[in-house]
Amino acid sequence: MSKQRSRQYKARIDQALATPKLQEALHRFGDAFLVSRANAFAGLDFEALRQEIGQMKDAVRENSPAYVAEFTRNAEAAGAKVFLAKSAEEANSYIAELAKARGVKMVVKSKSMASEETHLNVALEQAGVRALETDLGEWIIQLAGQKPSHMVMPAIHMFKEEVAELFGKVTGQTEAPEIAHLVQVAREQLRQGYFDAGMGITGANIAVAETGGIALVTNEGNARLASTLPKIHVVLVGIEKLVPTLEDAAKVIRVLPKNATGQLLTSYVTWIRGAVPSHDDGEKELHIVLLDNGRTALAESAHCKDALRCIRCGACANVCPVYQTVGGHVFGHIYIGAIGIILTAFFHGLDKAAEIVRACIGCRACVAVCPADIDLEGIILHLRAVVGKEEGIGLGKSIVFKQVMRNRRLFHTLIRAGSVLQKPVSKGERSIRHLPMYFSSLTEWRTLPTIAEKPLRDQIDQYARKLDKPRYRVAFFGGCGNDFIYPEMGISLVQVLNRLGVEVYYPQEQNCCGIPALYSGDRETAVDLAEQNVKAMLAENPDYIVTTCPTCTMALKRDFVEHLADNPVWAQKALELSEKTIDVSAFIANVLKAAGEFALGAEGEAVTYHDSCHLKRGAGVWQEPRALLAASGHEVVEMAHADRCCGFGGSYSFTSHPHIAREINKDKIDDIAASGAPIVAMDCPGCLINIRGGLEKRGLNVRAAHTIELLAERLK
Amino acid sequence: MIDAQRLELFSATARKVGAEVTSVATVEEAVAAIVALVRGTVLLPAFASGARLGLAGKLRAAGCEVSEENLRQSAPTADTGITGANFAIADTGSVVLESTPEAIRLATTLPERHVVLLDPRKIVADGLAAVPMLRQFHQRDPRNYLAYITGPSRTADIERVLTIGVHGPRQLHILLLEGLSDDPLEM
Repeated sequence: MSKQRSRQYKARIDQALATPKLQEALHRFGDAFLVSRANAFAGLDFEALRQEIGQMKDAVRENSPAYVAEFTRNAEAAGAKVFLAKSAEEANSYIAELAKARGVKMVVKSKSMASEETHLNVALEQAGVRALETDLGEWIIQLAGQKPSHMVMPAIHMFKEEVAELFGKVTGQTEAPEIAHLVQVAREQLRQGYFDAGMGITGANIAVAETGGIALVTNEGNARLASTLPKIHVVLVGIEKLVPTLEDAAKVIRVLPKNATGQLLTSYVTWIRGAVPSHDDGEKELHIVLLDNGRTALAESAHCKDALRCIRCGACANVCPVYQTVGGHVFGHIYIGAIGIILTAFFHGLDKAAEIVRACIGCRACVAVCPADIDLEGIILHLRAVVGKEEGIGLGKSIVFKQVMRNRRLFHTLIRAGSVLQKPVSKGERSIRHLPMYFSSLTEWRTLPTIAEKPLRDQIDQYARKLDKPRYRVAFFGGCGNDFIYPEMGISLVQVLNRLGVEVYYPQEQNCCGIPALYSGDRETAVDLAEQNVKAMLAENPDYIVTTCPTCTMALKRDFVEHLADNPVWAQKALELSEKTIDVSAFIANVLKAAGEFALGAEGEAVTYHDSCHLKRGAGVWQEPRALLAASGHEVVEMAHADRCCGFGGSYSFTSHPHIAREINKDKIDDIAASGAPIVAMDCPGCLINIRGGLEKRGLNVRAAHTIELLAERLK
Repeated sequence: MIDAQRLELFSATARKVGAEVTSVATVEEAVAAIVALVRGTVLLPAFASGARLGLAGKLRAAGCEVSEENLRQSAPTADTGITGANFAIADTGSVVLESTPEAIRLATTLPERHVVLLDPRKIVADGLAAVPMLRQFHQRDPRNYLAYITGPSRTADIERVLTIGVHGPRQLHILLLEGLSDDPLEM
């Protein structure tokens, strides 16, 4: 790991966190985006639309050379010159050489992320050609000497006062910090540029193989001017923007503005095919630079190739709690947000992505809104493992995962020892409010739970009853949180399921689910733990495996299958485990259909429900716990942003990014408090650690509990 | 034939994004509506339905200063560009302009105001229903420049505040006049 790189990264985080105005703006933007996006998609089947786009883009990826050839043939037949640039350098030098050869002194540009990717402006400057950005946001950051902090709204991190100052330097007078006025200044200042420029450079949102044409999806009208007024038009476009037909293009356009800005359509959609008439009797000189620059390598990556489906809407940043907390200058390189992490690794190198690949908290909010059906979080996890392999995951973590966790007896012995050793700081309480010295930052913004005196595995037999004719016999996968921190949660589970006629047993050989290792980039340990757990959980052939932790559920249902797919001994068993695993709320609601078995309270207590990321966006379970809580006499009161991450993220909130986690937790506690409910329920021990810790530290009188505990209290 | 439902959806959606949509019964009414709007030179690039109506002569007779040629010279200071539309798209409130002749582009990008004459019989349901027409344009002309225009030029690049009229027209007026042309390939 490069220490200097890490230091600079941490400094950028601190700087972003010291700018609350930025956080507030990005939060407001994220909220407004969700509303306008929902309106834009009203009446449409988003799931079907995105699957269609994903499949279409996959077909293009698989036959990329053929589509490049078809596009080139059709574009050249229409008088365009097409250049396939293998690298950023090739693309830049083609354009710079062209400008020099035609005696161009100035170019006007409309917004192009591809040109940001290749640092085209620098290359042009070196060739003595001035590049004038005409997109308002791009012009602002060009004047500020910065890079975009959002793919669609490049200057989203700046405020009108800063813009007024930048514009004042251009006009030589004081400009009022009023947005309408500033927009007018930009209009006036940039207008002459289109007439003076010898070349217009645009990107393209789509390149259509069928026609050899491109489509530009824009709002301001500058791309129309840049592609009309100068004699030469250069299009710089990544090869992943290719689509086979005009229908496919129409399908992308149907989704792109809705998912980018919540618009039904942008002000302008411009289709340009070939060298069109220009300057009365002449014709345009049209050059199309198709950019590879790592895209073919990305297409070859079994784990990451889906990223080429991206249509660059930027939504993955809009909804990301990390992005909303630190902005795109921290959470990105040139491309930002979840997709930015992946593209950075392939377009700009793993080194540039090594820090931000760990900055993802893993909440999958991005996956839920991706219009191309990309499992962004899954790909980021893979890249984290690659970085972990290349750079190491740090000695401490390495010892914990490889030497300790894999050896279940040693791991569990050490946790038990911890239960005794913590006494000086826990003072016999269940929460630790302050840790001494070096560790004090860990309890700065939340209390931490203690390790239970007696883990669940040592006491469950006192509670679990053998049933005569059980409806089902289920194995309980406790996970570390349930086993060693909150054994009462598991006891509640046993009591509820026994009452519902289900026999529960606890396989003693079960170990950590491996997620902490996997999320830290140690895939090897995760695979080893997968084997141990598959063996342990299936040993007595249970009807189901039930869980209280959705992160463990994801491991058992999704990750083990992938980890063991190539292992002839374990692959089939991993699939069996996957099929039998279910979280306890879904088990009670959907398998047992037992919502009616709980006593209605005399007076229903208000409960607000927090959706755990991995339960809602991993297992697809969110209605079930609400239904059970309501059926057991509680009044479910919705908090704002119920499905936004609580900021836990396992080691994310302890070691990798505690300060970002703190802010995300603060947002969650604010939303819980604003709901007015005296109880907040959730279905995850990790969320419980974080939410209870945040509530306690803030001194709020709100009870945090797992749904299963509340249900146990309402047994008839 | 006018599809009343589509027309209603088109008008409502176009208005929602800031376009003015007005029905006019005759070319005289259209000219009167234009005269009431313009404050300076009018750019009138050649388009078939406009020529048939004798639009240039009628505008001049009504006192407009009309520029039909050398638009590169007149466009930078012009007040209003007037064009027809090939067809429109209901669900997004867009007008579609075959803009391959440069004059159409100059008249629709540079002035403060853009007035579009649209035959309300030429409205398709959505973007996918527009594709057959796009394909016909491509088959007819080996080189082309097609524009979907949806409301006036806009930006939200400063503090995400929606602001109208950054680089393109600040106003988009759509005049609905039946009988202009029923051919989507013709403006």
